[in-house]
This record gives sequence, structure tokens and C-alpha cells, in this order.
Amino acid sequence: MWKGIRDREAGKLRPNSFSNRIKSGRISDLQISNHKDIVSPHRGAINSLQVDLTEGRYLLSAASDASAAVYDIQRATDYEGAGLIAKHKSIFSVDKQHGNGHKYAISSAIWYPVDTGLFITGSYDHYIKVWDTNTTQVVMDFKMPGKVYRTAMSPLATSHMLIAAGTEDVQVRLCDIASGAFAHTLSGHRDGVMTVEWSASSEWILITGGCDGAIRFWDIRRAGCFRVLDQSQSQLGRRPPVLERAALNKSLSAGQNSLTRSRAPHKKHANGHGPKHSTISRMPAKGSVRQRLHPGMLSSQDRATAHYGIVTGLKVTEDGMYLLSAGSDSRIRLWDLESGRNTLVNFETVRLQTSKAIQLATSQDSALAFVPCMAVVKAFDIWSGKTSLAFHGHYECVNCCWFNSQDQVQQPTSHIFQFLNHHKT
Amino acid sequence: MERGKKRPRQEKEEAEEEEIETGSSNADRSLSLEENLTFSDTLMALRIMRAQFPHLDKVAIQPFVLQSQLYSSVKDRTQVDRELESLRREKVLRIFKLSTGQDDHGIMFLDDYLKQIERVFKRMEGKDRGDMEVFKWFTTHVVESKLEPSIGHQELCSLLSLGGQVKDRHVSLLINAGLLTRQLIDPNMYWFAIPNIGSLLKGLTQGRKELLSFLNRRKYKEMMLATLEKKHLRLSSLDMRFHLRDLIGSGHLKTVHTPSGMVVRVSKD
Repeated sequence: MWKGIRDREAGKLRPNSFSNRIKSGRISDLQISNHKDIVSPHRGAINSLQVDLTEGRYLLSAASDASAAVYDIQRATDYEGAGLIAKHKSIFSVDKQHGNGHKYAISSAIWYPVDTGLFITGSYDHYIKVWDTNTTQVVMDFKMPGKVYRTAMSPLATSHMLIAAGTEDVQVRLCDIASGAFAHTLSGHRDGVMTVEWSASSEWILITGGCDGAIRFWDIRRAGCFRVLDQSQSQLGRRPPVLERAALNKSLSAGQNSLTRSRAPHKKHANGHGPKHSTISRMPAKGSVRQRLHPGMLSSQDRATAHYGIVTGLKVTEDGMYLLSAGSDSRIRLWDLESGRNTLVNFETVRLQTSKAIQLATSQDSALAFVPCMAVVKAFDIWSGKTSLAFHGHYECVNCCWFNSQDQVQQPTSHIFQFLNHHKT
Repeated sequence: MERGKKRPRQEKEEAEEEEIETGSSNADRSLSLEENLTFSDTLMALRIMRAQFPHLDKVAIQPFVLQSQLYSSVKDRTQVDRELESLRREKVLRIFKLSTGQDDHGIMFLDDYLKQIERVFKRMEGKDRGDMEVFKWFTTHVVESKLEPSIGHQELCSLLSLGGQVKDRHVSLLINAGLLTRQLIDPNMYWFAIPNIGSLLKGLTQGRKELLSFLNRRKYKEMMLATLEKKHLRLSSLDMRFHLRDLIGSGHLKTVHTPSGMVVRVSKD
């Protein structure tokens, strides 16, 4: 390392590559931390974790006993063991006793992306509540038609303040904080929506994963979804350069004799992807049998599935180029967002939790993906799919994990309300 | 560990290749699983496993390989997936989703599949002369052009109609023959299926359960591979080697190298 510093001083090594080298070295050395402890006031399984995006200082957690708590992870509240073990107690927590608190399990709690003055919780009691952090009071609430599985706000949004909510109902609803009403609903899924995630590259693109196994991409400015990921549309590895790809598309369409989803030129085509028809008998069957649908709604007839089960977790990598999805068929797939294809990387997982949503995390340079697999959190190398690290230590199933890139800390939480910190020791 | 085994394994593999070409596959069963558990290439692994497919008396079926068996045979799973994908696109083999579990896939070479369809066709020939041409339409139009494991109703009808006038009873005939099965989640989608495979699938699930429960009952939940291979499974007509490869590939069992040989152990999650 000292040689690296000397090289950086002399200009032989660029500062960015120097810091990346140190970071990846630290990541490969992650172990359970024995000097940092987060004390959780929860009495039920922790369902969601998020560290705020602005400072990386406050951790928000939501549990099945209808409580949500905030912790300061950078400054300990007190020290134990002769000053060696830092204990972080919660700064505050809201639970059932709170006048306006949730009544059933909170499935997801997220910070308002702009600052930590607000946070949003969604719960199985069909409500989404917006809380003011300083006064711990509910500022706004939205009633949903079913249990709320996941809420998300876009970290890039500058012109809208919409909360995307995935519920038991087949429609994804967008709630507007500015006006206190629903902005619009997105229909297309055929079963409940388990996970929602905003794109890391555009403030208008929302990605949802449903209980029907489909992953849909929505541009919220338009009706209908513009893409449905299909696990049989695959590419071998990273995208080939443009000319090769055009040739590949042509040969595939000739060989397979079906309506091509022309991905390369028209990414956001308004018609979305119509039902699969052979090129020979296209028009008559479609026109006579179906009623006329709005062109944006054609995608609701696309039945491609991304997983053979429920989509339980979605994560867009930080560079916005790839999407990781986990399903209840115990498979994790890596999708190339630009071409919309399955990259066929095989992540070695035996079993994944099937009934609840899990929260995946990726390291900052998108080289490692952290996935909770039952009682273990495994770190996979994204491109080869091999397990590079495995974190044992929880007694029960792990529901969610979060990677804090500031000091390479990774915090998984489990069914029995425990926090474990994995630090570079 | 690998270098010491490489030479005998390579020789054995070359010997096997020659045997495959001359058509005799009796000697394969004498080669133990311990020595040829892993291969370097997916296509070679497929060919060798196809040659090692157990001979079944009661059911006449062409050899097929499970995807989990491939995972246990080739080290890099991503490479397996990608090679399978390119072989599928080149129409060398077909992949079928099996009904035994959520992620079970069976792989069959295209020639074997066509032979199997022929066999089914001959078996059903006695019955209804009038609708038999649907099998020819299926082979020439659907199998050639639709490479995915599933197909929608509309697309099926439009591809079949390239051969002639399609009626609902033609599709029912295909389902009765076992070439298509309805999907449970979606009434308009069909899975391609291998005909006459029902008893084998039942044997597969029961054999898996039996093998896992046998190992679980042992004191340390493990056994030497050499002795385990010689056991016979009571409930399954597929042989022990088939099941071992499948369970190792799906992660339920793992192999450990010990000084006295390989040991198979039940893996804790």
C-alpha cells in the first residue's frame, strides 16, 4: 500500500485507480465487525434498511412489529468494553404506540432522497405514511387498495416527488407528496407487485417486479410499459459492439420467424412490445379477435416472464447499466438494461427466500453483488457468478442488506431483528 | 489433484469418444463417477452423459441430460449457460422445462428428439388417420422455427397452419401424444415436452428423495462416493450416477476430496 501511495504521489498511478484498489481490497476483506454494534429496538423481523443518500450517516430500518427506527451509524451513542465496542442506539423509533403509527408490519421505509427531513413508510395495513423526522409526526398518508410491499422514490428526481408503491393490487400507484394525491396508476402486471425500483439513469423510468414473474419498465410520462424482460431473450455476456449486434438481430429474426422486439434502434418505442405473432398471419388475427387497445396498453398482453416464480428483489447497479433480479425460483439474473437481455450469468444459489421480498445490494464499482440467501449473505462476483464471500452469523433468514460505500460497511438484517455489521477490520 | 488425474481421465475420455463412434456403450458403465466427474467442455459433457444414460427396459425413450447434471460436470456455470444458449441457437439441442421442480430443465439433442417424435407417431398411427399430418406439420414448422421451451396458442396455430388447415382437435392430438403440455399459470401458453417421459419424471423425484433421505439417515450424513455408486435405488429406474450428478449440480449434495477418495455429503444451506 505504501508503494501505491508513493506511486500516486509521483503520478504513476491515477488517484481514482488508487482509491478503487484500496476499496476493492477492503471489500474482499469484509468480516463481521467486533467493534461496532447497532442496538435495535425492534421486536420483529427487520424488513428493510436504508442509509440516507445525502450524507450516508443515518440508517433507517423497518420491522414487522410496526416499528421504524433511525440510527446514527457514524457516531456511537455510547461505548462498552473499555471504549472498544461502539454501541449505536436508535435516535428515535416510531411504533404502534405512536398515535398515527402503523398497525401492522412495515414492509419498507425509505428516506426522502433530497434530505433526511422526511421519511416514508409503507405497511401491510394498506397505508403509506410520510413522516417528519424532526418532530416524528405523520405529515401525510395515502391509502392503498392492498398491502404495501415496497415503496420507492427516485434519487435523481428534480421535477417530481412521486412515491412509487407496489402493493398486492395489480396496479402500481404513484403518490405525489407535493399535492397529497395519487398522480397516476400503471397497469400491466397480472398479479401483485412485489418490488419497485427507480432507474439510476433517468428520473422518469420505473422498474417493477411482480408476483407473476414479470419485470416491467415504465416511463411514467406515458401509458403502459415500454419493455418486459424475457428470460429467453439472452445475450452472451456483455453487449457486442453495435455492428455485430445489428447482424445478430437480423439473423435471429430470420431464424426464429417471430415478431422481433427490435431493441437496438428503438428503445422507448411507444407501442411497447405487442403480442408475439408470426410475420405471416399478423394482421387479421389481431384485428378481429381483440378489441382495440390503446397502443401503450399493448404491452399488457405480453406475457414474457423474467423468472419462473415471484420476482423478490431488484437492484439497479450504480452505473445504471445492469439490473440484478432475484426470484422465488432461486435464481438471480443479471440483465443488460440497454439491450434488455438476460446476460446468462449463473449465480450459484441453492435456495432463496420465497415468500418475502429481499433487498439486494451492490458494491459501488459494480463488481460484487450482495444477496441474502436464507441465513447467509453471499457476495457474488457480478460477471462470473462465483461466490467470493459468504457472511455467516445470523441465526435466521436474512431479509435485507445494505452496502455503505463510504466506509465499506455492509449491514444485513435478519428475521430475528438483529443487525450485524460487516466491517473491514 | 487435477494434474494427477488428468492423464488417466483424458485417455479414458478419448477412449470413450471412440466407443461412442463405434456405437458400443456397454463399457461406459464400468467407468466410475469418481474419475470422470468433471469435464472441460459442455458439448463433450453432454455427449458423454448421453452415452451414459441408463438403459431402461420398460420405457422406450431417447437419452436426455438434466441441466443440473451439467452444472456438476463443468466448473464454470456461466460458461455452461452460455454454451447451452449458443448450442440451442444453432439447433444442435433443445431445452425442455420439466415439471419436477421450479427450475428443472432437460436437454435433448435435436436428432434424438425427432426420433422420439417419430416413435410416438408410429405408436399412435393405428388410431385416427385423418389428423396424423399434424405431426409432420409440427416437426417441419414448429420444431424448426420455435427454439424456446414454451409457445403461445396463437403462435402455435399460425405455425401449424403453414402446413394446412388447423383445427382444435389437432392441438388436442399433440397434447395427447405428450408433445405439448398446458402451462398451469397461463391457459394460453404451452410447454414443449418430451413424450413418454412421465414415469421417468416420477422416478426422478422419488429417486432424489430416496437418495437424500438415505444420506440424511446416516450418522455423519456422508458416504464414500465409490461405495455409494454401487447402491441401487429402489424407487427409481434411473441409475445412481444419474441422480448423483443431478443432486450435486443442484447443490443438495457436495463432494469433498479426502485422502481415501471422494466423499459425498449432504450440504447444509
